[in-house]
Parts: sequence; C-alpha cells; structure tokens
Amino acid sequence: MRRTTGETIIFWTLPAVAVIWVAAFFLFPGFLPPMSPRAPAAEVADFYLDHTARVRYSMILLNWFCVALVPILMLIVERMRDMTHRTPVLRYCMIGCAGAAPITFLTATVFWLLAAFRPDRSPDLTLLFNDLGWVTFTCGVPFLVAQSLFLALAIYLDEQEEPVFRRWVAHFNVLVAAALVPAGFAGLTLSGVLAWDGFLSFWVRNVAIAIWIVVMSVVLGRSLRRDSAAAEAAEAAEAAA
Amino acid sequence: MKRLAWRGDPKRELWLMWYATLIFYNVFTVVFFVLTRTQPPAPPWYDADQATAWFAHRHQGLLVGFALMFALGGLSMTSTALITYSIRRMSVSRAFAYSYLILYAVSAVPGLLLICLAMTVGAMRPDRDPAIQHWLYDFGFLSFSGTMGVFLVGSLIWMAAILLDKNRVLPRWFGYLNLCNALTEVVVSPAWILDRGAFSWNGTIAWWINVAVFGMYTGVFITLLRNMIIREDFGTGPLPDLPPRKPRQRAAAEVAEVAS
Repeated sequence: MRRTTGETIIFWTLPAVAVIWVAAFFLFPGFLPPMSPRAPAAEVADFYLDHTARVRYSMILLNWFCVALVPILMLIVERMRDMTHRTPVLRYCMIGCAGAAPITFLTATVFWLLAAFRPDRSPDLTLLFNDLGWVTFTCGVPFLVAQSLFLALAIYLDEQEEPVFRRWVAHFNVLVAAALVPAGFAGLTLSGVLAWDGFLSFWVRNVAIAIWIVVMSVVLGRSLRRDSAAAEAAEAAEAAA
Repeated sequence: MKRLAWRGDPKRELWLMWYATLIFYNVFTVVFFVLTRTQPPAPPWYDADQATAWFAHRHQGLLVGFALMFALGGLSMTSTALITYSIRRMSVSRAFAYSYLILYAVSAVPGLLLICLAMTVGAMRPDRDPAIQHWLYDFGFLSFSGTMGVFLVGSLIWMAAILLDKNRVLPRWFGYLNLCNALTEVVVSPAWILDRGAFSWNGTIAWWINVAVFGMYTGVFITLLRNMIIREDFGTGPLPDLPPRKPRQRAAAEVAEVAS
C-alpha cells in the first residue's frame, strides 16, 4: 500500500467530521443567535435548565470530534515536507499549534458541559462556567492565528516552479489570521462588535474558520491527488526499469 | 539587492523564528509585568473581598493585556520550534527533539492560556460574587506558577540532549543551567500548599529566585540560539565555532569603503 493511500483515508474523514461539527453547531442552543454576555445570572441558569439535553448532546459531539482536525493538519504538515525549506522549523511550529488549538476547543466544551451537568446549581456558578466556556471558545484563537501565519510563511518560502500550495493560499491564510485576531479581544466588552456575541468575535471568526476548513481541504485534496499521481508515475517507471 | 540576498539566505527560516521568539518574550514581559501587573504576583493570602478589589482595580489592564496574549500567544511556538531544531542538530536520537516539541506545545494551554482565561473572566464582571472572584484569582495565579511537569521534564530533556551531544551545538554549562530551570519547577511546588511565606506563589524563593533563574535562562538561550544560527553549516557533524569578531576599526573602515 502506498503512503498516499493512508493519507487519502485521513483526508476523506474530513467531510464526515465537518458534518458532525455543523450538526453540533446547530444543535447547541446557544449559537443561533449567540448567547448574550449581558444576560443576568438567572437568565443564564434558566437557559441551561431549559436546554440541558441539547447542550449536553452538542458538546459531547464537539468534545469527541473537535480534535478530529489534528490528522488533517498533519496532512498539511506532510505536504510541507515537499516545500523548498532548508529546515523543519515551520513544520514544528505547525505541529505545536495543531496540538494546542484543538485542546482549547476541548476545554471550552468541558466548561459548557459542567454548566449543564447540574443546571440547578447556584446561578452565579452556572454564569461562571458559561463565561469560562464562551471566553475559552471565543478568545482561544492564539494557536489558530499563529497556525495560519506559519502556514502562510511556509508557502511564501516555498520557491519552486510547481509550489505545493499556490501563493494565493498564503494570502488567504494571512487574511484568515487577521479575521481571527479581533476575537481575542472579546473579553474587553459585553456589547458591540467585539463582544463574544458580536459581529467580529462571533460571526467573522466562525465564518473564517469554516471557510479556512473548506478552502484548505480543497487545496489539500488537489495537492494529495498530484502527489498520488507522481507516486504512481514513479512506481510505473520503476516497474518498467 | 537586499531582497535577492534574503531569498538566497539558507538561514532565513531560522532567523525568522529567532526574531519572532525575541518579539514574543518582549510582548510577554510587557503583558505580564506592565499591562496586567500579574507579575510579580499579587499576594496569595488575599481574602475574597481583597481579590475582588484587585480585579476591579486592574480591570482594563487585565483585559487589554490578556487580549494581546490571546492574539499573539501562538508566537510562543517559534522558540519551541527553534529549540526542537537545536536538538535535531545534535548527535542524539530524534526522540529528544520530538519529546521537547510535544511537552512545550502542550505547556501552552495550562501554562499560558489558563491564566489569560481566568483573569479575563474575573475582570469582565467585577461585580461577581466575591467567593467566585477569589476562586478565579487562585485559578489564574496557580495555573500559571503551578504548571510544573511539562517545564520540568522539558528542561531535563533539553539538558540530557545537550550533555549527550557530540556536535557541540550548545555548551555543556548551558546543559547544567537547564537543570537549574528544572529545579525552579520543584521549588515552586509548595505554592500549591502554602499561602504565605518564602515558598508561596509570590514568595522570595518560589517567585523572586525562580523568576531570576528563568529570566537569566531565557536571556541566555535566546543568545545561544542566535549563535547556533550563525554557526549552522547544515551538516550533520560538529558545529563550527563562531567566526572571529572583526576588530572594530577594521569593520568601520570596511563600512566606510562600501559606503563611498
């Protein structure tokens, strides 16, 4: 079996995982519309009492599968081997970010699940878990920002006639990093575009992540196909010799 | 011309990592010591009302400072990557390099992200129940100072690699300095138990001596990594020595010659 066969299997887990993420997003009752950071403790406690089951099921789903992006990120890291880099440092940066970023999402699910575990807890404690969940989910972008920047840099430094990823993919990653940065500032205010339910911190950030996954899977798929074709050609040449 | 020289420089990836490391540690220092004033840490013996007042007093600084960490904290991966590279360049098993990479990538969440979360959540609602503010206060400081194992084992891994290395990538004395850094993680452990005295999280030993060791260690490794990049020959054998420094007058004369 060729190396690329296993990579193709990993790659095709992505649509299934993406469906699960989208399902979790719609199943969590606090996303559409996003819960307000201005809601008083009693209202937040009522939310968990009224929607206990949906919070639990959606967050168990996300807890299972938010880390499922790790193997996909490793496919990108493997593609980076073919870039004309002199050293593996940018791959190391990507591996580091791929470890830290999904754990941040995982931590957010833990806080939300804790809030839903005993919804009859004191409303102040439910508000605390809710805040921790939302701040972790929203502000926890440092490794996603860095990951996009490292990938962009890696593509810019890949100076060959047939680069692994085209230059526009690097520009795109810089754009995504810029779109994610404002979410880091969500703690600063409880209302407006920066608040965790605001235009920049919720919509721009989450749409940017979704578009990143779609675009990167398309370019990754193309690059995998090219790699697979090259491996086949090499095998054929070897057999002929 | 400058652009061409940059394009051809085989060390540009290493230099980018090094400058990013320098930027990260500067931002880190400004955020923790100036903006949020969470270093030196506030006293562990504060009661709930004092902790609540502490959050209220530092409201804006905490939120702005940790927002900067949320935006730029991922740059911490550059020093991890560069150190992992230093271990790869040594005559030791890659297992050392990969162990270091994983340990320090994992450390980013409990060692850096949790204090940002706890302090942001505490600062964003200063009117929260004081008992809960007190818990967030403890959570922030203890997660930051008390994330020990990853740094302890990570430093020991780097130390072992340096001491076993035959390629002279880093000096042996720096190997032993890693041991000092590892020991700070042992010394800080009583901070989980004591809320006052030299071993508490802001104590003379658990904070002041530790931060002096950590500061020196960080300054030294940033300098040594710079030297490593200058010495790098992309071979697999021993790293050459640093090129000799030109006498100042000669260097100045050369610059003047080029300028004219």
